[in-house]
Amino acid sequence: MLQIRNLDVAYGHAKALHGVSLDIEKGQMAFLIGRNGAGKTTLLKTVIGLLKPQKGSIAYQGEEISGLPPEDLYLRGLRYVAQEKKVFGNLTVQENIEIAAFASGEPTDTALGKVTSMYPKLKDFLKTKAGQLSGGQRQILLVGRALVGEPKLLLIDEPTQGLAAIVIDEIVNILSGLKDRVSAVIVEQNLAMVNRLADRIYIFKEGKVARQIAERSEISDTKGFEEYL
Amino acid sequence: MLKGRRSRTPRDLKNISNDIGAFKEFKLKTEGTVKSYSNKINKYQIKEYRMIDLLVITAGFLILTPILSVHRLTDFMIFCIFAMSFDLLYGYMGRLSFGHMLYLGTGAYFCGLFIKYLGGNPLLAILIGIVFAGLLAMLLGLIIVRTTGACFALINLAFNHIGFFLVLSPLRNITRGEDGFGVTASKLGFLNFGSRPIMFGFTLFCLLLVYYILRKLTSSPYGILIRSIKEDETRVRFLGYNTFVYKWLTFALAGSFAGLAGALTALNYNYVNPNAMDVHSNVGVVFACLIGGAGHLYGAIVGGVIYMVISNFLPIYIYRWEMFLGFSLLIIVFRFRMGVWGYIQRLWGYLVKGKVVPGFIE
Repeated sequence: MLQIRNLDVAYGHAKALHGVSLDIEKGQMAFLIGRNGAGKTTLLKTVIGLLKPQKGSIAYQGEEISGLPPEDLYLRGLRYVAQEKKVFGNLTVQENIEIAAFASGEPTDTALGKVTSMYPKLKDFLKTKAGQLSGGQRQILLVGRALVGEPKLLLIDEPTQGLAAIVIDEIVNILSGLKDRVSAVIVEQNLAMVNRLADRIYIFKEGKVARQIAERSEISDTKGFEEYL
Repeated sequence: MLKGRRSRTPRDLKNISNDIGAFKEFKLKTEGTVKSYSNKINKYQIKEYRMIDLLVITAGFLILTPILSVHRLTDFMIFCIFAMSFDLLYGYMGRLSFGHMLYLGTGAYFCGLFIKYLGGNPLLAILIGIVFAGLLAMLLGLIIVRTTGACFALINLAFNHIGFFLVLSPLRNITRGEDGFGVTASKLGFLNFGSRPIMFGFTLFCLLLVYYILRKLTSSPYGILIRSIKEDETRVRFLGYNTFVYKWLTFALAGSFAGLAGALTALNYNYVNPNAMDVHSNVGVVFACLIGGAGHLYGAIVGGVIYMVISNFLPIYIYRWEMFLGFSLLIIVFRFRMGVWGYIQRLWGYLVKGKVVPGFIE
C-alpha cells in the first residue's frame, strides 16, 4: 500500500528525517511512536505533500507520490487528520462533513449518514457551529470526515492527545471498526490504543526508525518500548 | 397541619403511575406533531426565504425615498452593490483588499468609453464594463490570489495606484485625464437613464439581481468552500480542492460585480473621472463591510447604507468628519466585531429562539 524508502527531510538546514523506510500492507494499521521531535509528524506531513523530501521515495499503490500536491493525494484516497483538531469553526458540523462529500463526489446524505452512524451524538449537533464542539467531538468529527468518500489510507496525527478516557475509547472503537478495510498510519503515544490496534509499530528516535515491531507478541508487550517514549 | 392529608394507598400510586404513563404518551404525540410541523415550516421558509429577502430590500429602499432623494439613494444602492462584491472577497473568503476600487473604476471607464466612442446603447455599455473589469480581475488575479494577508491587501493597493495613474496621465488622450468626460447614454425604449426614477428602478433591479446571485452562490457548495478557505486554506487542500482555482474565480467574480457598480456609477453621474478609481475611496468599502458585519450580504447592504449616510450627511455638521470615521473604526475593531447585522441577528435569535446565537468564532 505504502512504501517509503530512505527518506530524508529537512526544515531548511535542520534535518528532521534520516533515511526512514516504512512499509504498510493493505488493511494494516501502523503506529509511529517516539518522543517529541523524533520526526513522526514530519513523516506524515511529507507523505501528504506538505513537505518535500530531499532524498528517497514514497510509493503509494506502486506509484511514486512524493511532490504531489495534497489535493491530488486526497482524490487518490489518502486522508490526513492533523494534530490540532482544527475543524472549520465557523461552519456548521453538517457543512464540515458536506465539504468533504463535495470533493469526493459522494452524495451528501450518504456522507452525513456515514458519520452520524459512526457517532450518533453528532446528529444533535449538525446545525451547530463546529467551533463550539468539545475537543473530543471535534476529533471524532475530523476522523469521521476523513472516512467520507473512499479512503484507502488514513494518516492520523495524535488522535487522542488531550482527550478524556471515554472519548479515547470512542475513537479506538471507530478505528477498530475500520480494521482490515482501511490502512492507516497513526502517530500515537497512548500505548493502550497502540496495543489494541497496531499491526506494526515503528519507534522513532532522532529522525530515524530505531526499532520496528511487527510481531503480535512483541506489540502487546508494551514494556519493551516504553523506554523510547 | 397535615391533618387533612391521608397516606397514599397502593391504588392511588397506580393511578399516579397511569397518569404519568398517559402524560408521557401525550408528550410523545405532541412532540411528534410539533416536529413534523416545524419540518413543514422549515421547508416553506427555505423556499420563500429568498423572495422575502428581495421584498425586504426593495421595501427598505422605497421607505427611504421620501427621506433621502431618489438620486442619492441610487448612489447608495450602487455603493451597496460594490460593498457586496467586496464582501464576497473579504467577508466570505477572508481576503482583505485595499484596491477594490480598481475594478469599479475599470467598469466605469469601459462603460463610459464605450458610450463615448462606440455608441450609446447603455445595456451593452454596462455589459462591456462588467466584462472588462472581470477580465482585468482574472488577469491580475493570477498573481494576486497567490498571496495572503498583508501582501494581498498591499499588492491590490499597488495595482490600484497603477490603474489610477494610467487613466490620469499616460492614457490621457483616451480618458481625458483629470477632467474626465461626459457619458450620455441613448434611450432604449422606456429605459431612459437620464431620468432619475428610471435609473433608481434599474439600479434597484441590479442590486436585487446581484443579491440573488450572490445569495445562491454563497449558500451553494462553492459558498461553503470559500468560507472554509477563509478559515484555513491548507486544510481545504487536504480535502481534495485546488484552492487556487476557487480563489481566482472568487476574485474574478468580485471584480465583475465591482465593474457593474462602476458602470452604474458612470451612468448615474453621466460622467467619469479618475475619482472612480481613487485609491483612498477603498477605505469606504472596507468600513461599510466592517460596520455592517462582514461575511453576510445583508451586512454589506446595511453597512453600505450606514456608511453612505455618514459620508453624505456628517460633513454638513462636522467639519473634519473623517476623524469620526476613524474613531468609529476603532470602536468596531475592538468592541463590535460582528457589525450591525451580526448584532441584529443575535438579538433576533435571543428574542425569537430564546437562545444566544454565537458570533464569529475566532
